[in-house]
Amino acid sequence: MKSLFQKSLKTIALAGLLVSCVAATARAQNPRIETNQLDALAAKASQTVDVNIDERLIQLTIRFIGKGPDEQKLKEIINGLKGIYVKSFEFEKEGEYAVADLESVRSQLRNAAWNKIVNIQSKKEGSVEVYLMSNAGQISGLAVLASDPKEITVVNIIGNVDLDKLSELEGQFGIPDLGIEVKPKRKN
Amino acid sequence: MKKPIAITVLFLTLACVTPICRSLSTLALAKGDDFNAAVKVVERFYGVKHKSIPFLARAGIKTATAVARMAGGEKRRIAEAGSVQVAYFEDQDFSSKGNFANFKFSMNAALGSWSPLLQATEKGEAQTHVYLRENNEKFQILVVALERSEGCVVQVTVSPQTLALLLKDPDDMGRAITAEATTDDQ
Repeated sequence: MKSLFQKSLKTIALAGLLVSCVAATARAQNPRIETNQLDALAAKASQTVDVNIDERLIQLTIRFIGKGPDEQKLKEIINGLKGIYVKSFEFEKEGEYAVADLESVRSQLRNAAWNKIVNIQSKKEGSVEVYLMSNAGQISGLAVLASDPKEITVVNIIGNVDLDKLSELEGQFGIPDLGIEVKPKRKN
Repeated sequence: MKKPIAITVLFLTLACVTPICRSLSTLALAKGDDFNAAVKVVERFYGVKHKSIPFLARAGIKTATAVARMAGGEKRRIAEAGSVQVAYFEDQDFSSKGNFANFKFSMNAALGSWSPLLQATEKGEAQTHVYLRENNEKFQILVVALERSEGCVVQVTVSPQTLALLLKDPDDMGRAITAEATTDDQ
């Protein structure tokens, strides 16, 4: 009786371990970045923008957008996207946020599922980091982390992003003009 | 012997039906009354009172030029006829420095069935919150726009075509809707 109990306990523990491993893998493969922890910066920021456009809204835009050439071009770009999420903070003075504040975002991008494809670091103009997540050769998400001494912007695009057309999304759907020219150099 | 059983069954039925009816009416109120819930959040958070725009003033609501500008053509209203609800705040203190995150949290909690599309603040004095909800084949947009001393809560129903157009510039969406709902062009 005791050994049966011990066996069941072992099986339950193994099952639990398996479930938590599967959950952790799923989390690691999720192209959606958690940015709520940055909300505390809003208290110090002079300007804050938080845009959430989910798949349903993207599909709606694709379905109902006009038939003009610009609209058709936009439709082509957003086709295949499952979400556009933007969070940006602007500060009046330098030093109102700490590099550590961005660590919560960077740590999510440090896992093996993400590849850093652009890394521009400049003391004067700040930094721009672009990360890509791919599954079976297809892009499943993109993250841009742009920061300068007075500004932080995190852009998270879910879905199959066409990198050649990424710059055309700037200025639309709440995505600021970041001046990104991505020439993909994928990691082997 | 059968009568007491029947009475017990009747009591049990009544005891079950009352809470069901109550929860159904709460559900209906919660779904239909989110505009008032949003107004109440503003009132409680900032300790202010709203003014309703008189019906006659609303009848002359401006034709929105923002949508026309975005569409690059024919002028049309953003909101479906008769779907506009507006609460206006005047001569109040809405200074939001340091309060934005808490206000955003309270508003998101009150509007649980809505999706927050845009939440923005500028210089701690102006803030815009735009929420969306699907309503049959139309969409409802709820905008809370607060400036230093005035603000408004606007709820409109829009067609999917209009929403698709407005989605291209979520920031302009809040401005366009509040302009349509609070400007009288007569």
